[in-house]
Amino acid sequence: MLFNSLTFVAFFAIVLALHYAPFPWRLKKFNLLIASYLFYAAWSPPFVILLWISTFVDWHAAQWIHKATSQARRRAFLILSLATNLGILGYFKYGEFLMENFTAALGAAGIAYAAPEWNIILPVGISFYTFQTMAYSLDVYLRRSAPSKSLLDFSLFVTFFPQLVAGPIVRPSQLIPQFAEIKQATSNQLFWGLGLITIGLFEKIVLADAFLAPAADAAFGHKGALAPLDAWTGVLAFSGQIFFDFSGYSTIAIGAALCLGFALPNNFRFPYAAIGFSDFWRRWHISLSTWLRDYLYIPIGGNKNGRIRTYVNLMVTMLLGGLWHGASWTFVVWGGLHGAYLAGERLLREMIPEQSWFKSFWFKVAMAMLTYFLINITWVFFRAQSFGDAATMLLSMFALAEDPKKALYLNEIAPALLVVAGMVATHWRMRSTTKEEIIAATPPIVIAGAWAVMIFAILISQGSDSAFIYFQF
Amino acid sequence: MPSSTSSSEVPGTGKGGLKPILTFFDPEHVDRPVPARPWGRIAMMAVLAATVLMAAWEVSWRGHWQYPGDFKNTDDLWAQERRKATGDATVIIGSSRIFFDIDLDIWEDITGVRPVQLAFEGTSPQPMLADLAADEDFKGLVIVGVTNGLTFSGYALRGDAVEHARTQSISRRIGHRLWMVFDTLFAATDDATRPKTIIYHAEFPLREGMERRMEPRKLMVMDADRNTRVAPRVMEDEAFQQLARDIWADGLSRKLAAMKEAPDPDAMAKLQENMDRIIADFSEKAAKIRARGGEVVFAQMPYNGMYAELEDAAFPRERAFDRLVAETGSVSVTFHDYPELQGLHLPEWSHLAPRDAEVFTARFAPILDARLEESKAIKAD
Repeated sequence: MLFNSLTFVAFFAIVLALHYAPFPWRLKKFNLLIASYLFYAAWSPPFVILLWISTFVDWHAAQWIHKATSQARRRAFLILSLATNLGILGYFKYGEFLMENFTAALGAAGIAYAAPEWNIILPVGISFYTFQTMAYSLDVYLRRSAPSKSLLDFSLFVTFFPQLVAGPIVRPSQLIPQFAEIKQATSNQLFWGLGLITIGLFEKIVLADAFLAPAADAAFGHKGALAPLDAWTGVLAFSGQIFFDFSGYSTIAIGAALCLGFALPNNFRFPYAAIGFSDFWRRWHISLSTWLRDYLYIPIGGNKNGRIRTYVNLMVTMLLGGLWHGASWTFVVWGGLHGAYLAGERLLREMIPEQSWFKSFWFKVAMAMLTYFLINITWVFFRAQSFGDAATMLLSMFALAEDPKKALYLNEIAPALLVVAGMVATHWRMRSTTKEEIIAATPPIVIAGAWAVMIFAILISQGSDSAFIYFQF
Repeated sequence: MPSSTSSSEVPGTGKGGLKPILTFFDPEHVDRPVPARPWGRIAMMAVLAATVLMAAWEVSWRGHWQYPGDFKNTDDLWAQERRKATGDATVIIGSSRIFFDIDLDIWEDITGVRPVQLAFEGTSPQPMLADLAADEDFKGLVIVGVTNGLTFSGYALRGDAVEHARTQSISRRIGHRLWMVFDTLFAATDDATRPKTIIYHAEFPLREGMERRMEPRKLMVMDADRNTRVAPRVMEDEAFQQLARDIWADGLSRKLAAMKEAPDPDAMAKLQENMDRIIADFSEKAAKIRARGGEVVFAQMPYNGMYAELEDAAFPRERAFDRLVAETGSVSVTFHDYPELQGLHLPEWSHLAPRDAEVFTARFAPILDARLEESKAIKAD
């Protein structure tokens, strides 16, 4: 079910009531587990079986890895876990993509092959929970942690509803121990959790859906070349839409978990204030970037095997990171661009010695603007339906397209640019601080006023619940 | 290292009072501090202020043509009604004319049967008829509203509703039911009250070379079972009524101008081919329903003004409606044939005024019933 739906409001109220009822801790954990399965089944009940398979296989694989006496057996059990998770992911998410490319490759070789129709529905959030459970087996294999002692706690780790379908991708050591002890939020945690839920819903329903989506949809939905203002507005609006959509989801997830007494990690830290791309990836989808760092980039050698190998590792990580988002070559190019940016930045750092003016305010502003500009180029590939559409959009942005048309009205342009300007300014202001610090220094009346305005804006902007963009990944 | 959930409160003493969390991600630890503020008092003030704002918003919309009990025309509501279309139900499909012009209460009073309203604005009845034909449990009466420009082009603005009804998640069903409660109680739940819609229709200055948006506004009000009528604003706000006509005229005048140009033989051939395919499809689906004991009839609701000018020229009766009726072997009722179904008030050329829709329904239902009886008698002979 969607966080921005009345169904979730009713569901969460029941979950909270049960969680604060005078039941033993073990029963409360069962309640949370059942609630999490119901949360997932509300989309499509049969796909709960996938959660059970992941839970069953990884629970046993980790136990066997831990008990195994030989390295070969440890490796075999790890392969079992990885093959199960990647197999599920591959079948449901990449099957059609692989088949299409296979057919195209045969066609290029002059062999006519008609692939069977691939009518497989993508289970919501599959990329998130498979990565989360793989982290568990990998941690045990890499001896970073021991397997969980409780199947109930482990099942809850795989399924915990606030972050089940779109993250943050939580590490076993961050979450499983939390289930071991009685968790109940203090009243202040409960209120702050509700405050975070409000902020997340405001980001999603008001900023992403009401103010930014119309411009992004109109620009990317337009067939043919656009005038530069229209193209830039569309791309900038999408940069805001994707941020508020995804950050909104993560903030609601963190708030919902906190209301229950659990702590989830931050997934975003004002990414459009990033100075450079390594900084950007410390601020954008943090739980994925660190997952890729810890379970892919470092295991394949990281920066320990010479310069060339470091760049190769960087590119491989980012290309696969791109593919994680979707089974399409446009996502691979998106990842490849980020890999190239990271590699370029690393190269420049190696070539140009640190200068004192690097620390000057205006240099930082210029670098942040350059970073944001280059990130917007990558969003074109992320959002476009095809390379043709992406090329048209890029040409339109730089006034190189033939026969450009105006497609956006001021009704789309004005709100989108206003929100994007506010977003970038806010990110810059918040670059070195946190929401918590700012709120701790804000008078209560101002907090209450802002909270009321957000609740009001959410309620009047409600509509037919639109799904979060990252659900498709 | 054991995981800790440091959800502890940290004193908020302004600058430097709360240590910024600059460690961006610690894989073994989650820090989730709560800003030290009087949260109970803040929450109370926020809820109170939000309630006042919402009350003011609701009151202001009740004075601006919005009403509690006017339900949203969603795919979810359509799916809810679709589930009623089973057994020997009487079902209405088609586009906005039959959607607005048939009053279900009056129909029920006259016939004793409450039809299931499955028509959708801007939508050919084709996908809905296909859906009913594929449903083995359905063997009732289908009244197909024929709006020439939609029926014979196959354009289906809301055709996705059929697939939505088949794949609607449990979550959406529950959410829909909850929304129904809010729609019953509040006026400010309609899409027209959302900032997104308000901004979309706001009169911003036009960019050079761009034309004014001429898209339909909210024209109807709807009951919980999709019993629908023209909205009071269309009847009582003359400027709004004129706007509705201007919007239709904008699209219709383009089509009329295109028709007056020399017709492209290729395009005409394609249109004819498309029409042949559509009529064949209607025949096949109607036969399928009849084979199970059901019945399919075609009806044409009144229209006038520029719609009459365009539709009668583009879809001459003998080549369109009459052909459809003949090739499907169906009973039909068109307002053209019945003086008592003519001369009613169509404020924007395409949909009957609510009172006239009641009158129309009261006259139409017995005519259709008689035609069906007549057809049965002929078949029995």
